[in-house]
Amino acid sequence: MKQYTFVKYQPSDAISSLINENSHTLLVLSRFNIALGFGDRNIGEVCRANSVDVNTFLAIINLMGNDNKPVLPVKSPVSIECLINYLYHSHQFFLNFRLPEMRRKFVAALNESEEDLNRAVLVYFDNFVAALKKHTQNEDKKIFPYVQDLLKGKQREKLPVVLSKQHEQIQTRLTEFKNVLIKYYPANKANEINSFLFDVFNCEKDLASHNAVEEYLFQPAIDELENRNNSTTTI
Amino acid sequence: MSQPVRISLFEPSVIIRHGLLSILNRLNAFRIEVFEIPDIDQIKSSLPWQKPDILIVNASIIGISSMNQIRKTIASPDLKCVALQTSLLDSSSLQTFDEVISIYDSAEQIIGKLTHIVVSQEDGNKLETLTSREKEIIVCVIKGMTNKQIADTLHLSPHTIVSHRRNITAKLQIHSTAGLTVYAIVNKLVSV
Repeated sequence: MKQYTFVKYQPSDAISSLINENSHTLLVLSRFNIALGFGDRNIGEVCRANSVDVNTFLAIINLMGNDNKPVLPVKSPVSIECLINYLYHSHQFFLNFRLPEMRRKFVAALNESEEDLNRAVLVYFDNFVAALKKHTQNEDKKIFPYVQDLLKGKQREKLPVVLSKQHEQIQTRLTEFKNVLIKYYPANKANEINSFLFDVFNCEKDLASHNAVEEYLFQPAIDELENRNNSTTTI
Repeated sequence: MSQPVRISLFEPSVIIRHGLLSILNRLNAFRIEVFEIPDIDQIKSSLPWQKPDILIVNASIIGISSMNQIRKTIASPDLKCVALQTSLLDSSSLQTFDEVISIYDSAEQIIGKLTHIVVSQEDGNKLETLTSREKEIIVCVIKGMTNKQIADTLHLSPHTIVSHRRNITAKLQIHSTAGLTVYAIVNKLVSV
């Protein structure tokens, strides 16, 4: 029996309306290297033209469209290769674009003549960036190659992959940073600090959806792959 | 509370479910994360990963025996179960719940009931001002001292330091030394 599902978007939906409904899907397009300028073409056509797996694209879009909560049925046949590609580009986005840009804005928003406090808040921000970097590098250098080996059917010693706990810690760090800044930093450049804080709020959202993709799509796919490889080795 | 309160909602009627969701969205005393469960068959499989703090269920459909089973699968003593009452039910079947929401409750009543549940869960974490001992400890922490070193300096046991630090974290909602440093500078606990 087919159960009630929350699936929102289908391959036949126009990609431009998708972006209007949820602007954060712009990030998904860039991570898949899909350039704007697709006219009235639909999701399926654009994905095929850019060699992106439609199911994976839809799984990510639907997850975001459902407030980053898994869409039923939880298991959709995603392409793991495609997912790794997406996650890798997403990491690059945070570390090479989003966070450096935010830091520049932050520095420009700080009060003059409060050197000690400014140094302290910058250390606080940089600590968050360092934690995120450590986490993403672990994924780029250890977890992704491990999963790619599994895909090729290579025998690998099991790598304990539990992503959710680390995510929670990183998200809490950013939220805490934001709250401390709002509660205690006596900012006097209102426009600049507001603009920075809007970026932090957006970044929280981006991180949450990035993490949801890892936890609800990537992690189950790894688990399934490991089980499959195990069962073939025991035969 | 830094983590959002996780709420799972089992109600087969999409109209009632979304009605309740729109009221939940008006909760502003704390952050929430809501999971919808539209089908009774999905309760068992979804609760283990949803790990709700609060479970709201349609009481007319669920029945006492399956309610007890659900509590067993969750196995968390902190789980609060809320009955969504859509029809007349005898009081014994409602007694197993921590709270009852009727579909004829006003939005304010529903928000009041849910807020009460959450607040009773975290009553210890009320925001208070720091004691002078706690301020002393913050200063030591941001100097990079270990709990042992702080204990020696203040002539306290390391155990006491740990419990002070736990209280500081609960009051300020700051876990990191970098965050405490900002707090200390702004509140002039340290002269730098």
